[in-house]
Amino acid sequence: MSFRKIFTPHLGDPNCHTLEFYEKTGGYEGARKALRDWEPDALIDEVKASSLRGRGGAGFPTGVKWGFVPKQTDKLKYLAVNADESEPGTFKDRVLMERMPHQLIEGIIISCWAVGIHSAYIYIRGEYVHAYQRLVAACAEAYDKGILGSKVLGHDFHLDITVHRGAGAYICGEETGMLTSLEGERGQPKLKPPFPAIEGLFGCPTVVNNVETISNLPYIMEIGAEGYKKIGPESSPGPKLYCVSGHVEKPGTYELPMGVNLLELINDHCGGVWKGRKLKAVIPGGSSAHVLSADECDVAMDIESLAAAGSMLGSAGVIVMDDQTCMVNALLNVMKFYHHESCGQCTPCREGTGWLEKIVHRIAYGHGKLEDLDRIDTVCDRMVGKTICVLADAAAFPAWSFTQKFRDEFIHCIEHGGSPEVKRRHPDRIGGGLHV
Amino acid sequence: MSEATNPETPLVNWVLNGQPVQSPAGMTIFEAAKALETTIPNFCYHPGLTIAGNCRICMVESNRSKKPVISCSERIAEGLEIQTESPMAIEARNAVMEFQLINHPLDCPVCDKAGECDLQDYSYDHGPDRSRFDEEKNIRHTKELGPTIDIWGNRCIVCTRCVRFCDEISGTGELCVVERGDRSVVDVFPTVPIDNPLAGNVVDICPVGALISNDFKFEARIWNMRKTDSVCAGCARGCNVEVQSLDGFVKRLVPRENMEVNKWWMCDEGRYDYRYLLADERVTACTKDGEPVEDHDAHETLAHWLQDPGGTLGILVDPYITCEEAFLVEQIASHANNALVGGWKPADGTAQSFPGQFTISGEKAPNRLGVEAVLGKLVFGSQGHALRTALEKGQVSTLIVFAGFPHPDPDDAWVQAIRKAKRRAVFALQAGAWTEGAGLVIPGASPFEKDGTYANEDGRLQRVRSFHAPGDVEWSHDLQRLQAVLRIAGLRPRSLSSSAVFRELADVKKPFHGLSHSTLPATGAPLPGFIPLPVGVEGGSV
Ligand SMILES: Cc1cc2nc3c(=O)[nH]c(=O)nc-3n(C[C@H](O)[C@H](O)[C@H](O)COP(=O)(O)O)c2cc1C
Ligand code: SF4
Ligand code: SF4
Ligand code: SF4
Ligand code: FES
Repeated sequence: MSFRKIFTPHLGDPNCHTLEFYEKTGGYEGARKALRDWEPDALIDEVKASSLRGRGGAGFPTGVKWGFVPKQTDKLKYLAVNADESEPGTFKDRVLMERMPHQLIEGIIISCWAVGIHSAYIYIRGEYVHAYQRLVAACAEAYDKGILGSKVLGHDFHLDITVHRGAGAYICGEETGMLTSLEGERGQPKLKPPFPAIEGLFGCPTVVNNVETISNLPYIMEIGAEGYKKIGPESSPGPKLYCVSGHVEKPGTYELPMGVNLLELINDHCGGVWKGRKLKAVIPGGSSAHVLSADECDVAMDIESLAAAGSMLGSAGVIVMDDQTCMVNALLNVMKFYHHESCGQCTPCREGTGWLEKIVHRIAYGHGKLEDLDRIDTVCDRMVGKTICVLADAAAFPAWSFTQKFRDEFIHCIEHGGSPEVKRRHPDRIGGGLHV
Repeated sequence: MSEATNPETPLVNWVLNGQPVQSPAGMTIFEAAKALETTIPNFCYHPGLTIAGNCRICMVESNRSKKPVISCSERIAEGLEIQTESPMAIEARNAVMEFQLINHPLDCPVCDKAGECDLQDYSYDHGPDRSRFDEEKNIRHTKELGPTIDIWGNRCIVCTRCVRFCDEISGTGELCVVERGDRSVVDVFPTVPIDNPLAGNVVDICPVGALISNDFKFEARIWNMRKTDSVCAGCARGCNVEVQSLDGFVKRLVPRENMEVNKWWMCDEGRYDYRYLLADERVTACTKDGEPVEDHDAHETLAHWLQDPGGTLGILVDPYITCEEAFLVEQIASHANNALVGGWKPADGTAQSFPGQFTISGEKAPNRLGVEAVLGKLVFGSQGHALRTALEKGQVSTLIVFAGFPHPDPDDAWVQAIRKAKRRAVFALQAGAWTEGAGLVIPGASPFEKDGTYANEDGRLQRVRSFHAPGDVEWSHDLQRLQAVLRIAGLRPRSLSSSAVFRELADVKKPFHGLSHSTLPATGAPLPGFIPLPVGVEGGSV
């Protein structure tokens, strides 16, 4: 079967975000079909059968997650669409919301019909002002045309969507952090269990799904679970958006099947490593994923294959680094991010992220010691798997993999007074410490 | 907690450190282990607050998980095997201690918490002996959070106990964590200081010296203070407290856990009220007709008055006297030909209840029920009324007044009435309208200096104890003075301890049958068969 793009075929058209355009190209047919032809339970089974897996990072089977929501409950149920997209190197949801907002709304209708939800929130990253405006306009159009509201598409089913802007915290992308933030509390993750499907927003059963995950649903309605499963590997099928950034000729968002080869993605689609340079390393799934060295990059971009390669698909934020990249400086950048973004409630994460940045900073700025490398190792070890959410793990993974796979570079910096890139860019700051 | 006490709760078989054990279903590993006398370190856990699970110090090894689990939130289950001292558990704990300490100032020598600081204690047990942290420590704010509380942010371990207290117990929500990551620290919103009637508790539950009480700051080192278990006399709730004193001065009060009375808390009014001990008006020496006299002279004079009251003897009691003192009052009265005993109590305020199921009683009288149990239900009612009427009519020749309450606000009618007695002896805490013009003034002990029992508004009998060390008692308490007087008057053979007087009381007064000081639990016991009624139900207010 040849691959058909579902997210990006019309991006060339300046009006692709409008309702008129979306309906002209077959929009809302999937939602009509769902409401007309599918019993909610059967629809959940269909999504299970499609093997659709979450695109937010963890890759959890979507239909299975929906199945956890209690059928008999006096409580309201909610859908919270995760549009916080803050993982470094990730910008796919932004494209979907700016250019294809109706596809997301259609997906929301299908999800809510399946799970029996009448109230959906879209929690959108605060910096995404344009995407926010597009979403709000699209919702207004949809209400106007009876696609949302008291009778969705003329059916006896009511649904409201509220678009809520975050205030700029990575941790509000973690699902329970997002829910506490939506509730008006300080955005920070909660202990699980209870899982959101049982006790989520305002203490009610809540489905949390990523924008891209939800945007897949109209297509599943169109071609059915069987057809969907044939795209890419059977265990994690479907069309996929890859966000490629860094040292490639043509960075951008690429729609390709799950399981595309990473080198093919870089060389054939993105025009190869820029300036004719060689590949040094790739972070395949957002900054939380283990880095791959150039010789590990002949790998399929799907959940299983990347896990087998010791990394993860994560958010499919592919960060490409050429052979002139200083890995110490690159890691410092990543550590700065996690230090800045840790919500600070768990001791290992609160203190560990800061400690890691301080050590890497010292190495980059010329005060490193050889025992620092072991220290990074044990600090990571003391963070992983010991906290409320996995941000601590997400900070430890790059620290681990950078220092293990590029140990020579770290040793070189330690023995030669710091990172060559820092020396070039900030000669005046070499030798300085990090104050918080 | 409640699961543990409900006999209906089924038992779960699990294994703790290799030992097969049974615990009531539903308990957390932490609680179940504690009940089995295995203590697991904790910072963020507090039995009175919701579970936050953020400090991670309570991690243990479980057969159900590849990673260590937190025992404060994970519940026991059939077949669960938990190791608190395995290499994995020890490593997890050591790791948390290392993290806790890297940005901690370790300024124990100037920290008020030193000596009772969980971080300090655990770092002896689980901390590294030297630091691997070569970096600059973070700096966080030190500031006033409210009129009574400061934060020393560098010491804060962000356990959020204090935040949860204000959200869940006082319901006032003033505190929050600001900033993120290792910049996180507790703060208040601008213009909204922490200022609620229970605020002082956050200082107690702060596991480190981050929240500091202005009242106690730099006052004493914990380990030098003398600690006395007693009861707050601020209201009829009777919160259990530990009175901490140094060189004969009370330095602070902290609540003692008593699930039947005050849980883990106390109110600020009760907490800071001890300052009246140092008030200028404090009566410190006996006087006769305005002139200082030796204690013995004063006691002798009063003994003579009792031997020959010259007519009706009136005794005006207050709800601050102990049950034992009330018993001696009854003995005095029973030896007189004509005696009238009545009571006065401060006006009631309004009760204040909080979301955390804590109530400050509206009745500002710590032992009204105890005094009633000894001297009769109507002592503060019609008996008081009868005494005042007799006084007003000039029918009382000798009057003994107990004015042991800290904030004397005598109502005028009483003040006028007592002046009509031919002669008056006052056991007074503070000089004022009650003592003015009295022939005999004898220093009264404050509730912190008494030794005996109080019954709170639920009829729970609890021990009050003097914070003074035996031997350096400056303040003979009223019980001893009364016995001295009775001995001189030939009405009692000798002076006995408070416990011995209580034994006599328990023998003759039904509500006290079967009770004794030595068998009274640390958390007190209900007076058997004594059903407390609000004042005024019988007899009305005076
Ligand atoms: C620190 C952290 C940040 C996250 N950020 C995002 C995010 O920005 N967007 C997102 O969809 N999921 C994010 N996730 C994953 C969510 O917790 C959650 O797994 C996801 O939204 C579920 O949706 P899905 O099943 O459709 O993937 C984050 C997770 C963590 C631990
Ligand atoms: S792991 Fe880090 S980000 Fe996640 S809840 Fe704990 S402190 Fe917050
Ligand atoms: S101030 Fe104390 S109680 Fe409050 S969060 Fe910090 S350490 Fe915990
Ligand atoms: S509630 Fe009453 S007994 Fe408790 S501390 Fe306050 S004043 Fe004292
Ligand atoms: S006591 Fe269990 S995590 Fe803090």
